[in-house]
Amino acid sequence: MKKLSLTIFTILFATAVAADTIEMKVYGLVCSFCAQGIEKTLRKNPATADVVVSLEDKLVAVATREGQDISDAVLTQALTDSGYDVKGIARTQRSIEEIRAQIKAKAK
Amino acid sequence: MNLVRTAFASVWLVGASTAAIAKPIAYSHGTTVMAEYGGGTMKEAQVFYAPKYFLSLGGGYLELESDIDGRRREITYARLNYLAKRWNMEDAQANVFAWGGVGQAYMSETNDHVFSWNAGGQFDYETRRVYASIKTDLHHSSDFSHRVDTLQLGLAPYKHDFDSLATWIVVQGRNYTGGIHEGGEWALMLRLFKGGKWLEAGVTDDGKLQAMAMVNF
Repeated sequence: MKKLSLTIFTILFATAVAADTIEMKVYGLVCSFCAQGIEKTLRKNPATADVVVSLEDKLVAVATREGQDISDAVLTQALTDSGYDVKGIARTQRSIEEIRAQIKAKAK
Repeated sequence: MNLVRTAFASVWLVGASTAAIAKPIAYSHGTTVMAEYGGGTMKEAQVFYAPKYFLSLGGGYLELESDIDGRRREITYARLNYLAKRWNMEDAQANVFAWGGVGQAYMSETNDHVFSWNAGGQFDYETRRVYASIKTDLHHSSDFSHRVDTLQLGLAPYKHDFDSLATWIVVQGRNYTGGIHEGGEWALMLRLFKGGKWLEAGVTDDGKLQAMAMVNF
């Protein structure tokens, strides 16, 4: 039992440390003209390396700088202060470049 | 005229069950600069800064010229815009805005400057393919009362994304009260925006230019 717990903890910890992309499902993303405030706000955070917004996927993705993180609470507050509703936050292994490429591929 | 009034009434009824669109507040810590030319009857310029996503402060200049008797109003005003309600849906957004302010108006027929106040509201609903908005804007003084009601219905031929060019075909109905323009007016416009830049232009039913440019930064 202890071994199993340790294994799960190790997997979760390793995932948390390695994760450098935070993907948020956001409602209300219908107009790029209005949504640009999201990108502007998130880029102000010193831990932000890059931001991608996809209206099609209702997605806001943030890449953090190496060894840095932005808490869910801070991200939710940033999106709420921009006038949008966050419906989910996930830390993923997809790089921001992969996300950008997938968005471009979908658009074609 | 009756057609325009009927259209306004219909949108109010339909809109009441959905929500609202084109926004006097762009985003938190954003500045919006806008200029509009309306069919030879109105010219307006506005600058607003939004300290919060639901609030913006700024001012504007509105020139109304009567095509009935040539009277002209030049109104300079300070204004506060407030986002009273927003609905963020999975594939749509709707808003209710209200605004109010005070200013000074020049009246060409008496060559006087008088105190004026303004108040208005907007209700909009938008997806990535369709949008509808209705707006009313009142400028009032002891000597005049002018209201401009604007209805817009838009259709996008394709869904734009965050960094691509958005294209909209927009039908606008506008009604002026207070002896500025006799009857309602329709316009067909093409709207383009990308990043923080917005440009729309078209023609009214009597062949005059209707145009607006806006920048967010």
